[in-house]
Amino acid sequence: MEVEATPTTAVSSSGGAAQLPPPGPPAKKKRALPGMPDPDAEVIALSPKTLLATNRFVCEICKKGFQRDQNLQLHRRGHNLPWKLRQRSGKEVRKRVYVCPEPSCVHHDPSRALGDLTGIKKHFCRKHGEKKWKCDKCSKKYAVQSDWKAHVKTCGSREYRCDCGTLFSRRDSFITHRAFCDALAEESAKARAEAPPAEDGSSAAAVVPPPAPPPPPPPAPLRQQPPPPAPHHAEQRNEPETNATEPVQFAPPPPPQVPVLSQTSVSAANVSAGSSSSVAGTSQSLLGGMFAPSSMASAPQFQNLVGGVGRPERALPAKPPSLCLATDASSSIFSAPVSAERQQFAPPPPPSPSPSPHMSATALLQKAAQMGATSSSSSFLRGLGLDVSSSPGASSSGQQHHQEAAMQVSLPDTSLQQWPPRLEPEPAPGLSAGLGLGLPYDSTGAQVCLPELMMGQSSLFSGKPATLDFLGLGMSPTGAPAGRGLPAFIQPIGMAGTGAGAAETFGAGRGAQATPWERNPSSSPIL
Amino acid sequence: MEQELRTGGGDNLRAAHSSVCFSGGLIDGPRIQQLLLHCATALESNDVTLAQQAMWVLNNIASSQGDPSQRLTSWLLRALVARACRLCGPAGATQSAAARAPAPRERAMSVTELAEYVDLTPWHRFGFTASNGAILRAVVGSAAVHVVDLSVTRCMQWPTLIDMLSKRPGGPPALRITVPSARPAVPPQLDVSDEEIGLRLANFAKSKGVQLEFSVIKCGSPSPSPTSSPPKKQAALCQDLASVLSDRQSLGLRDGEALVVNCQSWIRHVAPGSRDAFLDAVRALNPCLVTVTDEDADLDSPSLATRIAGCFDFHWILFDALDTSAPRDSPRRVEHEAAVGRKIESVVGADDADGAERSESGARLAERMRRNGFAAVVFDEEAVGEVRRLLSEHATGWGVKREEDMLVLTWKGHGAVYTGAWTPN
Repeated sequence: MEVEATPTTAVSSSGGAAQLPPPGPPAKKKRALPGMPDPDAEVIALSPKTLLATNRFVCEICKKGFQRDQNLQLHRRGHNLPWKLRQRSGKEVRKRVYVCPEPSCVHHDPSRALGDLTGIKKHFCRKHGEKKWKCDKCSKKYAVQSDWKAHVKTCGSREYRCDCGTLFSRRDSFITHRAFCDALAEESAKARAEAPPAEDGSSAAAVVPPPAPPPPPPPAPLRQQPPPPAPHHAEQRNEPETNATEPVQFAPPPPPQVPVLSQTSVSAANVSAGSSSSVAGTSQSLLGGMFAPSSMASAPQFQNLVGGVGRPERALPAKPPSLCLATDASSSIFSAPVSAERQQFAPPPPPSPSPSPHMSATALLQKAAQMGATSSSSSFLRGLGLDVSSSPGASSSGQQHHQEAAMQVSLPDTSLQQWPPRLEPEPAPGLSAGLGLGLPYDSTGAQVCLPELMMGQSSLFSGKPATLDFLGLGMSPTGAPAGRGLPAFIQPIGMAGTGAGAAETFGAGRGAQATPWERNPSSSPIL
Repeated sequence: MEQELRTGGGDNLRAAHSSVCFSGGLIDGPRIQQLLLHCATALESNDVTLAQQAMWVLNNIASSQGDPSQRLTSWLLRALVARACRLCGPAGATQSAAARAPAPRERAMSVTELAEYVDLTPWHRFGFTASNGAILRAVVGSAAVHVVDLSVTRCMQWPTLIDMLSKRPGGPPALRITVPSARPAVPPQLDVSDEEIGLRLANFAKSKGVQLEFSVIKCGSPSPSPTSSPPKKQAALCQDLASVLSDRQSLGLRDGEALVVNCQSWIRHVAPGSRDAFLDAVRALNPCLVTVTDEDADLDSPSLATRIAGCFDFHWILFDALDTSAPRDSPRRVEHEAAVGRKIESVVGADDADGAERSESGARLAERMRRNGFAAVVFDEEAVGEVRRLLSEHATGWGVKREEDMLVLTWKGHGAVYTGAWTPN
């Protein structure tokens, strides 16, 4: 075995380690640059034979070889060495870095040494070693077995990649994810914004800001008139709140006016088929305006409200149907938000302190685009002041349940405290604890054991009265319930489920229990 | 005396139930079931002592982090305890209401998380794929398609249908999807509204060149108050839904469109006594296709013991499948298990079937459909092929078999989920 250990400042080894320039004046320890080893480290140059050897570390006692030092040390413990011999040689172990023995390799230079023995071994094998492992499917060859294994797992499976970065091996999963992913929403908004101008003059110039845009400029008065379909970009440059890079900016609507859109969405069922001809001057009329392509094309006037909504009017004219604007607008207001979202992507100012919950549809999409589909989305919804429970159906119960759950976690403590007094008259107080059902369940999942309760489980089946009220039912042998019913005891079970799983309390007593039925098998007919 | 609690390997006694050593005795699937039955019998006959004893033993076996049998037992036990509370009169009643606290881990997910959730196993997507295949075939030649979606998975089914429609030779139809505002309060819970989902779907459809119109129809009464009990909510839901389906106006049906009614994990939430009426309402809409997917188990017996046994026998299938699909501490897996726990509680916790889940097997559902004037539509080879392709992407052990005119998803040969397509006679 040829091993040379050289401090970085010294020269020569059989492995051909080159000399490092002396380190700079180290008044304080210099932090090594990435890719550059610690200047104080010991450079080890192993020969190829050594690197590829599988049993470099040998036990002095039984001569068994190991690939790694850690394994050898573990093994040595088994020899019951007297304590003196158990220590390794007293000198302090310096950090070691390893160079590649191949002279033409970049890692041959000590200044590019690798810090990890396993790393240098793999590197040497991969780069300079013989590729002994071959994939059956695609014939790709690998020198390192673990590389080969990893490849074989995924070889042949096409991977689908969503714009958000997630990979899928299953096509259906990919499609479904993509349909709901924020990445698609942003992309479509961009695509629409960048579409070549037909009659959509402004859409060409209107650009959706990237997902995490800076806070929008203060809302300008919304009275900017949309230009007639023919583009007049120059006009737009005069807009005070224009973003430097974009000639046209969606004017963020003042918050109070935004809710209009979603109000309508909720009242969808009530909007009859006549919305396209609906009255001017109401918020609904705005949508009516949107629904009627012809009126949009010629609508120079902004409706005062929801100025942002008005914007798409000029952007849309050429292609209403494909934007899901139904001509029969009776129940299809959701197409409206599709167009409205365009302007929403120029983020509105943070929602007003009391946003209408129904603004959620579009603002949510936009906000979600900002924040990505993170698990905090539910909390930011609440943070937006949206009353999630206002949404129909399930989410209300979901939130309700959260509340219930939160409330009930505290119950086990109180009910447990009621416990001890009840214990005295009971013949087998420990059983309840044995059942583990009464144990409070704290947030870390640790079971709080009250030692005084964990006793005498054996009494369960030893000649005690037949009715063992360890559930604290207070029941007579006939089974008639006492006034209290199944009190504190059972209650925590139901509640404890709100922790990480009811069964955790169930399992609480397991460790410390006796096995009563061994003593009195006849009392346990079940088994 | 030390207690041994070791898990033995898969046992010979029952196909894949693993076994638990408990103080030297072997407790495996069949014995757990026996214990459960003892407990059930005890509860039915008000024999509190026996019930306690059985629960004590079960408690020592159950573990929400153990092997599939242990995990399932823990959920069953939880449901039994909740039920036991109700045995105890008025004091018990309040507690039982509280004890029916929703399962842990029932948090609202984001849409992308839900997409991941439904894809952990083919349990849901099996029905999606088969139904979409049937829909595709049924709407050949139609220029407008309207899907009324009654499901608990919040439109996870539709992106793939949209994708398939977009590639239809001759071009995609104009598509409408309508969902009711009310649905069973069961997991999975979503943190966004139906409107938001519709928004994203429409966006997606547009990107594929498919015109999509999405609607949410309001069901009857205003949302039941949060304090009303789940069964009342469920009962109210059924009524609302029935009335909504009877109201062509509110559904916004149009002439010339091919109507599809998709019932995915829905029928089991309709009270058994109202199912025929529900199907009548559906039939009255004159749909061109009705797709029904649900769990292939009979869990509607009036006998508690039968229901308990049925729960153990059936839900074990998914628990076992989950065991091969995800590590024991995987939160996604626990969410699925908790959802099953919810179902069990619904089945076992109360005898009143109104508002509770009461699945009936595919065979019985098929009979019911026929009784109510529907004829089965066979799944074509293409649809079956899609299903097989889907299953090949999941763990080995999943399979599909034909039963009469329906398809049944199997895990290790056990029937799990059935799916069928029907058309009015």
